[in-house]
Amino acid sequence: MRKAPRTALALGSGAVAAALILSGCTPGGGDAGEDAGPITEEQREEALNTETELTFWTWVPDIENEVALFEEKYPAIDVKVENVGQGLPHYQKLRSAIEAGEGAPDVAQVEYQYIPSFVLPESLLDLTPYGAEDIAGDYVDWAWDQVSPGDEVWAVPQDVGPMGNLYREDLLTQAGITEPPATWEEYATAAKAVKDSTGSYISNLGATQAGQMIGFMWQRGVKPFAYDGEDTVSINVNSDEAKEVADYWTGLIQQDLISTDVDFNDQWYQGLASGKYAGWLTAAWGPIFLQGTAEGTSGLWRAAPLPQWEEGEEVAGNWGGSADAVLASSENPIAAYELAKFINNDEESAMKLATEQFLFPPQVSVLEDPAFVDQASEFYGGQEVNKLFSEISETVDTDFQWLPFMDYVYSTYEETMGTVIADKGDISAALDTWQDQLVSYAEDQGFTVE
Amino acid sequence: MSHSPALSAERSSAPPHRHSSTSKRKQNIAAYLFILPFFVVFIAMLIVPLVYSGYLSLFESKLIGGEVFAGLANYVRALQDSAFLASLGRMGLFFIVQVPIMLGLALFFALALDSGRARGARGARLLIFMPYAVPAVVATLMWGYLYGPDFGPIAQIARAVGLGTPEFLSPENILGSMMNIVTWEFVGYNMIILYAALRSIPGELYEAAEIDGAGQFRIAWSVKIPAIRPAILLTVIFSIIGTFQLFAEPSLLNAIAPDAITNSFTPNYYAYNLAFINQELNYAAAIAFLLGIFIAIVSYIVQLSTQQRERRERTTS
Amino acid sequence: MTSIDTRASVTIGEVTSPRRTRRGYAPERRRSLLLTVLLWLCVLYFVLPLWWLLVSATKDNSGLFSTFGLWFGGDFSLFENLQTLFTIRGGIFTRWLINTVIYSVASAAGATLLATMAGYAFAKYDFPGSKALFSATLGAIMIPLTALALPTYLLFSNAGLTDTPWAIIIPSLVSPFGVYLMRVYAADAIPTELIEAARVDGAGEFRIFWQVGLRLLGPGLVTVFLFSLVATWNNYFLPLIMLNSSELYPITVGLAQIQAAASAGGGSQALFSTVTTGSFVAVLPLIIAFLFLQRYWQSGLATGGVKG
Repeated sequence: MRKAPRTALALGSGAVAAALILSGCTPGGGDAGEDAGPITEEQREEALNTETELTFWTWVPDIENEVALFEEKYPAIDVKVENVGQGLPHYQKLRSAIEAGEGAPDVAQVEYQYIPSFVLPESLLDLTPYGAEDIAGDYVDWAWDQVSPGDEVWAVPQDVGPMGNLYREDLLTQAGITEPPATWEEYATAAKAVKDSTGSYISNLGATQAGQMIGFMWQRGVKPFAYDGEDTVSINVNSDEAKEVADYWTGLIQQDLISTDVDFNDQWYQGLASGKYAGWLTAAWGPIFLQGTAEGTSGLWRAAPLPQWEEGEEVAGNWGGSADAVLASSENPIAAYELAKFINNDEESAMKLATEQFLFPPQVSVLEDPAFVDQASEFYGGQEVNKLFSEISETVDTDFQWLPFMDYVYSTYEETMGTVIADKGDISAALDTWQDQLVSYAEDQGFTVE
Repeated sequence: MSHSPALSAERSSAPPHRHSSTSKRKQNIAAYLFILPFFVVFIAMLIVPLVYSGYLSLFESKLIGGEVFAGLANYVRALQDSAFLASLGRMGLFFIVQVPIMLGLALFFALALDSGRARGARGARLLIFMPYAVPAVVATLMWGYLYGPDFGPIAQIARAVGLGTPEFLSPENILGSMMNIVTWEFVGYNMIILYAALRSIPGELYEAAEIDGAGQFRIAWSVKIPAIRPAILLTVIFSIIGTFQLFAEPSLLNAIAPDAITNSFTPNYYAYNLAFINQELNYAAAIAFLLGIFIAIVSYIVQLSTQQRERRERTTS
Repeated sequence: MTSIDTRASVTIGEVTSPRRTRRGYAPERRRSLLLTVLLWLCVLYFVLPLWWLLVSATKDNSGLFSTFGLWFGGDFSLFENLQTLFTIRGGIFTRWLINTVIYSVASAAGATLLATMAGYAFAKYDFPGSKALFSATLGAIMIPLTALALPTYLLFSNAGLTDTPWAIIIPSLVSPFGVYLMRVYAADAIPTELIEAARVDGAGEFRIFWQVGLRLLGPGLVTVFLFSLVATWNNYFLPLIMLNSSELYPITVGLAQIQAAASAGGGSQALFSTVTTGSFVAVLPLIIAFLFLQRYWQSGLATGGVKG
């Protein structure tokens, strides 16, 4: 331990305790599971029948309904659901609370790409001793891969975002296109036809939307990131394949066939509603989202798989999705794991999430349930959109990894790629800049970069 | 911070020395008791975090390898950090362009209201001041809509009269758009301070000039403005502090124009992002410290220059 | 400035109008048409965004984007919007409003009291170290507190104060500007002779402050109170950092969160009309407070701003 300066001594223990925490000796830190061996059935029973209060941080709307099912089943356990923000603000709060050594929840929603950044400081509990391996088979492979890249299991998958193409059938027909473009080449041709005959952009590439771009790379088979769980990372965002993707978009953007508006703000919503965009290359959570946004265009939209790089291929990428992780600092790890598991694994709860909150499910049982896949959607002209995305889900490449500092990766994406995309510049060149920044940050932070 | 004529209250007339030393001591004790509550909270809420930050800024923490003592390395790094220097430069530009406009408008309104020559002055005063009551969150949200290139009313009007679509949220224009939001928010506040100062100028000072038939402009320029110089200086100092500490506006604008607002758009926003996104808490603390020192220096220079001007004027008159 | 006897009659609750405090009479002036037109044109600039807010509060989502922003259009849905606003997430908006009022009023009252006591002492006592302490107080305005967010959070967390109302109220009690203002105001409004006279009568220092000082500081108090009230009411950053429980949020953080939820994946609804209506409701109370307390803060600042 370091000596606190004289001024800090005057504060009493405050600064000293904080300094302790900052130097990593987190009190109550959870080595609980690691050497405890597997949890026995008796321990589980005991934990679930003891009066316990759990805190659950999530931004899923109305998740209280699923939590209520859990509380009904285990009356001894009381769950407090908190929405502390969405995405970045949520992670900032989570990290602050972890750093402060108190105030962190027992269970937290974490998007797949952020899991490693919580694994690195050992903030998450390895769920294998709690029986997480038993449910591995309930999930599509690539989703399970996301929560368990190595031997440990860090979270229970909640929802995923395999990517597809939502498009305005009426506008494409107007441009003489009767089938959704099957390849990226056809997509480029269609983009021109649509622009010329309707004035609409065939789709929008969100200038600062790293998730979408990485999804396209994922589809192309790019492996931009890797992390060994220790101190070695590999960063490869400017590989030849990645540049192929970048060049493709640069071409379309420079011909003014693709718009580069910032997405998810009011202007963009209106663009979807007003036909400024004739399509949206989005994830499986997109269809229902669009439905709430562009009510006036009901019946005009259709869904299709992403265009392919090679004729006849069937490959998709993924954009988004979350899992529920248990924090290492949790004082009730068994109950916490059971909550994370129940929400996303109990048949009724998982089905509710899929059909009421419209989270796209990673559970095989739900993906095969007729009640889910046979839903015909009026907004999409009676198409069975869930069925389509269930099929797409099977084509997502497994073994896609992330870096343990994705906050930084995304924020530099905005700085390096976002500005260039918005300026209609050379996206390939921006990939190089992005790569350099990521490598130098990783080296500064003490990683070995391969 | 220095003790300057502008920011020090006038010397209270010292109590005559007919008091015994015991009553003097009693008075001192009373005075300390009066300031005690404020200073307890002041130390706990400002000084302690500051000291703690200063302490943190002397360390370096890495994701791999943890925390090591680094001495002044963070400060050296900050002074060579082009992003930090650029953000200071950006705020410098903001200060040179926006603050004169804002204070100029505030002064103009204050004088216009004070002259009593405009109809409906009371209503105007309140309406100009009203934006001050609007939270920055709401103000930014509102202007974000107004700036919208497709559906914002400004763009709608511009298109209707054939001017094309103004790009308020592009990287080139975002600084100007932000200046406008801050101006809108704070003209009223500064106007009130200046107006209040004008109201308390003794009337005799310029009634004579009025009777001699001097014009309002003349009176404003030669009598009123010199009389409220301390209040003007006060608004300038507040504006320096406010400008270099801009945070809410960039952080909220980032939601609608992420391509235009970089992570280091303003120094304060940069420090925040360093701490929370890059997880470089120690470096962020060093940046915060340098920023505080920088603000103090700029404020000091501004004060000094006005003092010298006053001195010069005194010797020439 | 007013003469002492006028001032002695000033108590909290009745204040002489600024006109009379300045000059015995207001000479009949020529109105200038040009100045009036110019002034009111400028006023438009300050009012139009608020006008937009009022108009937008009456529109639904589609009207918000399909009709001209500065005039009513589409369906008149103010009442539906208000209903949505006050029922969303189990009526949490009301809770946010109440929180905001509690935080602001408590902070402002506390800050005013502390600032008044300190300002009074700085103005009326000549004690060792007063200069240095006063300079330190003013210097504190220079500290970019936002940048120290995380250290502050860590310290608060150690004291067990995060995610409690105290995390918002206690930091808001520090108002260096308030101390400055009260010092200037007290120096001016409380004649030293009065204090001396009271001492000769044998009154203790605290009694003098309560009975003589406070009575004369009325307008100054209101001014500091209002400025602290606005500062806390509009604060976004501190609660954002300190609070996790949504039932403790003030309105600013709550609104920002609803706005962010509009861009959520996972089938959430775009709640733009709710956000605009919420914003409108959030600014109303302060505007009303300013309207009603106008007279006080005007005269309170009249001394504060000018003294060198």
